[in-house]
Amino acid sequence: MSNKQYKLDIIPGIVLSLFAAFYLLQVPKIVEFKGLGSTPLTNRFVPYLWGGALLLLSLWILVRGIIRRKKYLAEGGRADKNSFAEAVSDKREVIASFISLTIYVALMGSVGFVIMTLIYVFVQILILTPRENWKKTYLPALITAAAAAGILFYVFRYLLNVLLPVGVLSVFGL
Amino acid sequence: MILQGLSAVLQPMTILLVAIGVAVGIIFGAIPGLTATMAIVMFLPVTYSMTSAQGISMLMALYIGGISGGLISAILLNIPGTPSSVATCFDGKPMANKGEAGKALGTGVVFSFIGTVIGIGLLMVLAPVLCDFALKFQAYEYCALAVFSLSMVIALTGRDMPKGLISAVIGALLATVGLAPVDSKPRFTFGTYQLNNGFALLVLLIGLFAISEVMAYAESVRKNQGYTIETNYKIRGAGFSIKEGLAQTKNAIVSALIGVGIGILPGIGGGVSCMIAYTVSKNTSKHRELYGTGIMDGVVASETANNATIGGAMIPLLSLGIPGDAATAMLLGGLQIHNVAPGPLIYQKSGEVVYAIFFAMVLSAIFMLIFMLFGMRFFVSVLKIPKNFLLPVIVVLCGIGAIGNANNLFDTYSMVAFGLMSYLLIKSKIPTVPMILGFILGPTFETNLRRVSQLASSDPFYRHPIFCVLIVATVLVVIFSTRANLKDARRAQEEELAEMEKMKAAGSDGE
Repeated sequence: MSNKQYKLDIIPGIVLSLFAAFYLLQVPKIVEFKGLGSTPLTNRFVPYLWGGALLLLSLWILVRGIIRRKKYLAEGGRADKNSFAEAVSDKREVIASFISLTIYVALMGSVGFVIMTLIYVFVQILILTPRENWKKTYLPALITAAAAAGILFYVFRYLLNVLLPVGVLSVFGL
Repeated sequence: MILQGLSAVLQPMTILLVAIGVAVGIIFGAIPGLTATMAIVMFLPVTYSMTSAQGISMLMALYIGGISGGLISAILLNIPGTPSSVATCFDGKPMANKGEAGKALGTGVVFSFIGTVIGIGLLMVLAPVLCDFALKFQAYEYCALAVFSLSMVIALTGRDMPKGLISAVIGALLATVGLAPVDSKPRFTFGTYQLNNGFALLVLLIGLFAISEVMAYAESVRKNQGYTIETNYKIRGAGFSIKEGLAQTKNAIVSALIGVGIGILPGIGGGVSCMIAYTVSKNTSKHRELYGTGIMDGVVASETANNATIGGAMIPLLSLGIPGDAATAMLLGGLQIHNVAPGPLIYQKSGEVVYAIFFAMVLSAIFMLIFMLFGMRFFVSVLKIPKNFLLPVIVVLCGIGAIGNANNLFDTYSMVAFGLMSYLLIKSKIPTVPMILGFILGPTFETNLRRVSQLASSDPFYRHPIFCVLIVATVLVVIFSTRANLKDARRAQEEELAEMEKMKAAGSDGE
C-alpha cells in the first residue's frame, strides 16, 4: 500500500465527519410544520437520515484510513512529510484558476459581464499555458478574450434574452 | 387526425423550423452548461406568433437536438453537454483518447437516432397502456422506485463502496437545501432567499463536470500529457462497421426499453436513464471489466437510453399533463401557450396537434441523424482547438448557462462552490457520478416517504404489489452488487500484494 492511500481515507474522513456533524447540528433549527395535513415524518426526518448516514460513512473511511496507516507503518513504511508550501506550489495553477474564477463571478454583477469576461478569459488562458509559451500567447489570448466577451454578450443578452449583467458599461447605454 | 397532423408537419415552414430547432438544439446540447431545457426556454417566446403545430414542432426539435447534442462534448471534452449524456463520458472520452473519436461520435449519433425512433414508436403504440400503468404509481411506488434507483449506486461504485455511498449521500443532502417538500418550510437556507428553491441540477452538473475538468487540465499544465488525441483519421460511414452495429442489437433494445421506462416515470429523466442503462449493460456484459476503458457498448447503452427517454417522457406529459423532466416541464408550458391542454382528453380535443408532435419527433430524429453525421468532422475538429484557449471560453458559457437557468447571478457562486467540492472529492478518490443520482432521487424519496408515513395506517404496503416487487428487486441488487464489489476489491488487494512481492523480490535481487 502506498503512503498516499491511507491519507485519501483519513483526510476526507475527518473533513466529511465534521461537515456531517455541522449539518446534523443545523437540523433542529428547521421549523417543523404541525398544522393540518402534517406528516408523521417531519421535515427533519430525512435530513437526520442523510446526515447520520454521511457521519457513519465518513467515520467508516476514517477508521479504515487509521487501520491502513498503522498497517503501513508496521510494514516499515515512512510517513510522508511534504510541506504545505510544496503542496501549494505543486497545485499553483489549480489555485490560481479557482481564485480567478471566484473573482470573475464575484465582480461580474458590479463590473459587468463584458469587462470581467475579457479579463477572466485572458488570465485563465495564461494560467493554462506553460510559462515559457506566454510571450507568443499574449496576443491570441487577448483576441480570444475580446471576441468571446463581445460575441457572447451580444448573442445571449440581445438575441437570446439572458440577463447578463451590464455593469459599468451601462453608462454607454448598453 | 393522423393525416391532419402529418400535413401540418409537412408544410415547408414547419420543416424549416424543425431543421432550425434541431440545429440549435444540437449546439445547445453540445455546449456544456447549455441544455435542451434552456434552448426550449429561450425559444418559447419565439413560438408565440406561430401556429400550434409549428411552435410545438420547433420545441420538440429543440428537445431532441438538445438531448442528442450532449454526446458531442461528453465524447470530445469529457464534459456532458446535458445531464442525459453523463454516462456517455465513461466510454466516449476514453474512445476519443484512443483516437476513436469518430467511431464514438458515429456510435452515439446512430444509436441516439435508434433510441429516439424506438421511443417514438413506443410512445405512439403503447401510450394508452403505459399511461394506465404509470397512473397506478402512488407514493409507495415512487418511494420504492427511488430506493431501488439509489441502490444502483452500489453497483455503480465498484470496489470502494463507502466512498460511492458518501457521494450519493452528499447529493441527497444537497437536495435538502431549500423549501422542504410537502410543507414548504425552508431548510439550510441560512436566510439566503436565493436558496429557497434549492440548488439547480444544471448548476451542480456544471460544477461537477465542467469546472473540475478545467482544474484537471490546470494540474497538467507543467506535466507532459500522457496521450495525444489523434484527429487526422478517416471516418467511413457512421464510424463503425455493420457487424459492430449489429452486435449491439440486444444492448440497444434493452437500453431503449430502460430509457422509455424511466422516461414514463415523472421526475426521472435522461440523466438517470443513461446511468441505469449503462450499469445494466455493464453488469450483464461478458466483458464488464472493459467498461470505462473506451468500448462502444457503453456509448450505445447511454445514448440509446437517453434518447428513448424522450418518447417515454412524452407519455405522461401528453396523457396526464405530468412532465417527465425539466425539458418536458418547459414543453408543458409551450403546450399551454398554444392552447393545447395535456390530459386524458388530449386526443379528442387536440388530436391533430398530438399527431403533429409525433411526426415532428420523427422528422427531428431524421434531421438530427443527418446534421450530426454530416457535421461530425466539424465537431471532431473541436479537439484541434488548444484546450488552454477552449476551456476558459467553456467556463464562460457554463457561467452563462448557470445565469440563464434562473436569470440569477447567485447560481454562478454555487457553480464555483460545486466545482471546488468536485475537485476535492475527485482528489480524495470519491466518485462524483453517484452524487447526481442522490441529488435527483433524494427529493423523490423524501416527498413520497413522507406521504407514505401519512398513508401507512390506512393503506398498508402489502396492498401495493409494485412497491413489493421494487423492494425485493432493491434487496437483490444490493446483495449481488455488494458481492461483486467485494470480489473486485479482494482481487485488487491480491494483485497489489503480488505486485509488492514482486518489487521486494526485485529489490533483493538488486542487492
